[in-house]
Amino acid sequence: MTHPSRTGDVPAVTGIPVEAALPTAGSQTATTTGPPRHPPGQFKDIWRRYRRNKLAMVGLLIVAILVVTAIIGPYVTPYDAFDQNLLDTTAPPSPQHLLGTDVLGRDMFSALVYGVRLAMIVALSTVALSLVLGVTLGAIAGFHGKASDTAIMRTTDIFLAFPLLVGAIVVVRAAGPGVWPVIVALALFSWATSARLMRGQALALRESEYVEAARSIGAGNRRIIVRHILPNAIAPVFVYAFTSIGVVVVALASLSYLGIGVPPNVPEWGRLISQSVQFLRVPGKTHLWLSPAVAICVTTLAFALVADGLRDALDPKLRGAG
Amino acid sequence: MESMSRTRAAGVAVALVAVVGLVLTGCSQRSNDGAPDNGQSAIGFPETQLQPPVPGKPGGTFRFALVEPTAIDPYNAQESEGVLVTHNLFTELVSVDANGKVSPAAANSWTPNGDCSQWTFDLKQGTTFHNGEPVDAAAFKRGWERAAAKSAASDVAYHMNEIQGFDAMQTGTANALAGVNAGNPGQLVVTLARADCEFYLRTYQTVFSPVPTTAGAADNQSYNDQPIGNGPFMMDGPWQHNRGIRLKRFESYTAGPKANLDAVEITIVPGGQGAVQAEYDGFVNGTFDWARLPTPLLTRARSSYEPRGEWLSKKTNGINYLLPMVTTVPLNNVPARQAVSLAINRAAISQGVFQGSATPADSFVPPVFPEAYQPGVCTVCSYDPQRAKQLAQQAGLTPGSTINFQFNTGGGHEEWTAAVAQELKDNLGLNVNYNGVPFVDLLKNEQAPGASGLFRSAWSADYPTPGNYLQPLLSTAAIGTTDPSRPVTGDNRGRYSNPAFDQLLAQAAATKDDAARTKLYQQAEQIAIGQDLAEIPLWFRQAYRLADTQQFGNVNLDFSENPTLAQITVK
Amino acid sequence: MGTFILRRGVQAVLVLLVATLVIFLATFALGDPFASTGEKVVPPQVQAINRAKFGLDKPLPIQYLTYLGNLVHLDFGIDFDQRRQVSSMLAETLPNTIRLALVAILIDVLIGVVAGVIAAVKRYSFWDVLVTVLSTLAIGIPTFVIGIVLVGFVSGSWIFPVVPRSFTVQVPWYQEVLLPAFTLAIIDAAFIARLMRGSMLEVLRSDYIRTARAKGLSERTVIGKHAMRNSMIPVVTYVGISLGILLGGAIITETIFQYNGIGYLLARAIQNSNVPVIIAVVVVSVLIFVLLSLVVDILYAFLDPRIRLD
Repeated sequence: MTHPSRTGDVPAVTGIPVEAALPTAGSQTATTTGPPRHPPGQFKDIWRRYRRNKLAMVGLLIVAILVVTAIIGPYVTPYDAFDQNLLDTTAPPSPQHLLGTDVLGRDMFSALVYGVRLAMIVALSTVALSLVLGVTLGAIAGFHGKASDTAIMRTTDIFLAFPLLVGAIVVVRAAGPGVWPVIVALALFSWATSARLMRGQALALRESEYVEAARSIGAGNRRIIVRHILPNAIAPVFVYAFTSIGVVVVALASLSYLGIGVPPNVPEWGRLISQSVQFLRVPGKTHLWLSPAVAICVTTLAFALVADGLRDALDPKLRGAG
Repeated sequence: MESMSRTRAAGVAVALVAVVGLVLTGCSQRSNDGAPDNGQSAIGFPETQLQPPVPGKPGGTFRFALVEPTAIDPYNAQESEGVLVTHNLFTELVSVDANGKVSPAAANSWTPNGDCSQWTFDLKQGTTFHNGEPVDAAAFKRGWERAAAKSAASDVAYHMNEIQGFDAMQTGTANALAGVNAGNPGQLVVTLARADCEFYLRTYQTVFSPVPTTAGAADNQSYNDQPIGNGPFMMDGPWQHNRGIRLKRFESYTAGPKANLDAVEITIVPGGQGAVQAEYDGFVNGTFDWARLPTPLLTRARSSYEPRGEWLSKKTNGINYLLPMVTTVPLNNVPARQAVSLAINRAAISQGVFQGSATPADSFVPPVFPEAYQPGVCTVCSYDPQRAKQLAQQAGLTPGSTINFQFNTGGGHEEWTAAVAQELKDNLGLNVNYNGVPFVDLLKNEQAPGASGLFRSAWSADYPTPGNYLQPLLSTAAIGTTDPSRPVTGDNRGRYSNPAFDQLLAQAAATKDDAARTKLYQQAEQIAIGQDLAEIPLWFRQAYRLADTQQFGNVNLDFSENPTLAQITVK
Repeated sequence: MGTFILRRGVQAVLVLLVATLVIFLATFALGDPFASTGEKVVPPQVQAINRAKFGLDKPLPIQYLTYLGNLVHLDFGIDFDQRRQVSSMLAETLPNTIRLALVAILIDVLIGVVAGVIAAVKRYSFWDVLVTVLSTLAIGIPTFVIGIVLVGFVSGSWIFPVVPRSFTVQVPWYQEVLLPAFTLAIIDAAFIARLMRGSMLEVLRSDYIRTARAKGLSERTVIGKHAMRNSMIPVVTYVGISLGILLGGAIITETIFQYNGIGYLLARAIQNSNVPVIIAVVVVSVLIFVLLSLVVDILYAFLDPRIRLD
């Protein structure tokens, strides 16, 4: 059983129904199809299958460009992303400013590139953090069962039932504005889905033949979890994580749009949009809100394509499903 | 193997692109300055002339938008939206016109005793509430006591704090205001615990409204939603929360000229920055007859509406400024504050962020008080980065030193504060710790002992007197504590304290003559702003409105920037 | 079944209790609600009177227990700002949110299921690619962008009412609800399409579909009757949970569209630290969410007999 998140319209980190991301999710499917095994030798096969998917390759290329941009972008942009020019605000695209300037006269292109870095840092950290939390707790719940299972699952209930926006506002208010409070807030409200996913996988694997075999030769619980269950269960969780990167990007933008999170002088994509909303119907100012909006869409699209391709490549039997 | 080599090739390609990118841009970033050649327009939009008066005739419905008020019942009406509605439902003792001039309203006249500790208000005879009840001295006493009662927990009753017996009511030890005598129905006698020659100005506050006997206590929900007042308009059905409020003309109004409009239709729109956009959109699509404008649209809207006479522009009661913490490093000396002030290019920010609409301030008491306004009393409100650097050096505010700069989020201050932060960085080399926090947090941070640096602030006077700028914000008494390790409880959160300034204010409060009092206020401002720069003035408040002057006459901005509903008439 | 419902019921109450406690404590991070009115500072004496009026001068555990006690009687207290009954505020706004949620769900199920089925049945066709690309794209566009663009460029045309409009103008509820519902529906429709496509493909490969085809049933019957019904299971789950979320109020969408639901109520309450309203809306939305999860679990068992609940 999986739950999208409690946000209404802030697309939530947990907002991806696992079924949509993964055909193998949920214990009922997992028991019928059996867990896929991917020993290291199979990476070549996975890559071979992945490469056949043209859309996925396009996605991968964009992701690569985004990551490189995030790393070196802010050093090679024509302007400093923070550098204001009050004498030349909201200028349309020109040779000096490829994408024009924003409401503070900052070079829009440089601002967007800085936004890539911010989006990547927040998205990757959030997903990593929530993955560590979710996988650990999910594995414990699924493998140990009993009291720890009940406790962990009811905790996920609470986190899934709690409105993300209110939660995020509270966390950010308590911790003060900044990038880290946003990451913590988003991770705090997104680990529950991966925990449930991991639990489902662990439940299925616990009863599987090779875990029984491992147990019969005297392997301890810890060893069984770390050596046998985690590597086999992690693939779907990993695909899910990849899918949720795009969702975190949107969530970050939505929070900034509401004025929560990163300081307002930081050229974050959602902030770039919210400061331009008043120009929505002003002719000639479309670039103010359209370019950051396109940046968000391209980013999420790229990560979604990669996630799709990855899922298909990981599970040849279900290729094309979902 | 094949795939491995491909990955490696891809990696090399990406690295190459990156290197080429670095080479192409020469590893350095261009500086973002220079202005396009479209010419600089003058900073600050001129005020529009008052519309020529039109003879009134009954009829018409005037429509505009407001954000949902906290209350329209006088006991707790507080923000400008609630006050606007309440002022039209109720007529107080005095009235204040668009220029802050006081005139008789429910009272014909008012006279203080020798030391201004007792005030006598002679009430107009024969005026009534919307339900026919007479408006007499007892009605005023009733209204004041209803708001002052502890159980009312009114946020605005403190305006009565000079009246004898107010404290006892707030603590719940008394049920009546000892200082208010309504023995004679036509005369209200108010005794003050603290003498004040400007007390009568306070009675324009809506909390000083009279209420009929049917009002009941402050928590009477049905009266809260449909107050029965003595003003030119009355409620036409109860307040529909989050939807709208409809007012209709009070036909038996005798406290002043009767309203012309048949009805006033107030649609409630969502708050925040979206509200202004909604008002403007509504004006454009014909839903509203009156609207504020989003800053980005000011220039365009002005050029299309000004020729048609539908553009209103007026300097109003208010100032935007930076609040410096004057007792803590780094702004605990005058040159440091002057350096900050000189480093801010008010005109450029006005041009870049406010479309040239914001008028740079050169004083703290704004020009809306023409007798008291002293142009240029702030000698360092101009832009002079050279002098700023020198003064900063002298004050120890050297490049690299850190300064806090906080503002409140959600109020539309994001852009211009970011610009100010950048200028402090560029012109003084300061490391600006720039932070946006919710308003309540901003307040807490300003009040906190040891607070330092700059805080975004704005002020508009409750009472139409320059003293209401100086006394609450700069007097020693308004710090509320003498202990630097305790939070500030008053409005003087910068903890500025100067005995000479306090002395002048005390003198002013005891001066009956208006001109003499104004002189004292001017001297006080010379000290606090001219000499000590205890606040850093940025822009004078100026209001811009669109109004359907094709259909309606006598549409003007009043002292609180609201439409003059009681005078508006169909043409 | 009975024990299952009982057990889940008890768990639901626990979740609700903990969530209430969390939000109760969390609101203290929102700052002092009585420190200011607008941008004016409230004198300390007045703040004290206010705190006493609203019982905030009592110890925290007492405040919480009092709140819970009142909650049992559906008494959400009086709000800090306008001092009205919070329950009457909920009564004004909740029906609007329910209406919005139901229409949004209707739209996204219609679009999502149809698109998903077409994509699965006509796999690898132009339509399949179109659905895949559009659904991926739709998930990537932030709702607030869709909202502001729709308000900016679509409101006021055709049957969509002007924003803003006078409160005296009566607009049929379905006209008012259409655009915000569509805004909310886009993302869900995309998810449902993907979900439907995946689960349909899986079902189409299963033995019983092969059997049905072997029996000579028409393709229409096979798809429409057998395949559809079985591939709806994950969609039902998703729709149930999604409904739970939508009923909790859509803060951004409702605010952008000037739509008077509990999401907008919550947005305003957060703005001015109106704690009783924040707690009430969160409690109501958690309650709805928990209840709907329960319903979904039960429904699930009916749809798929292989699943045992105990």
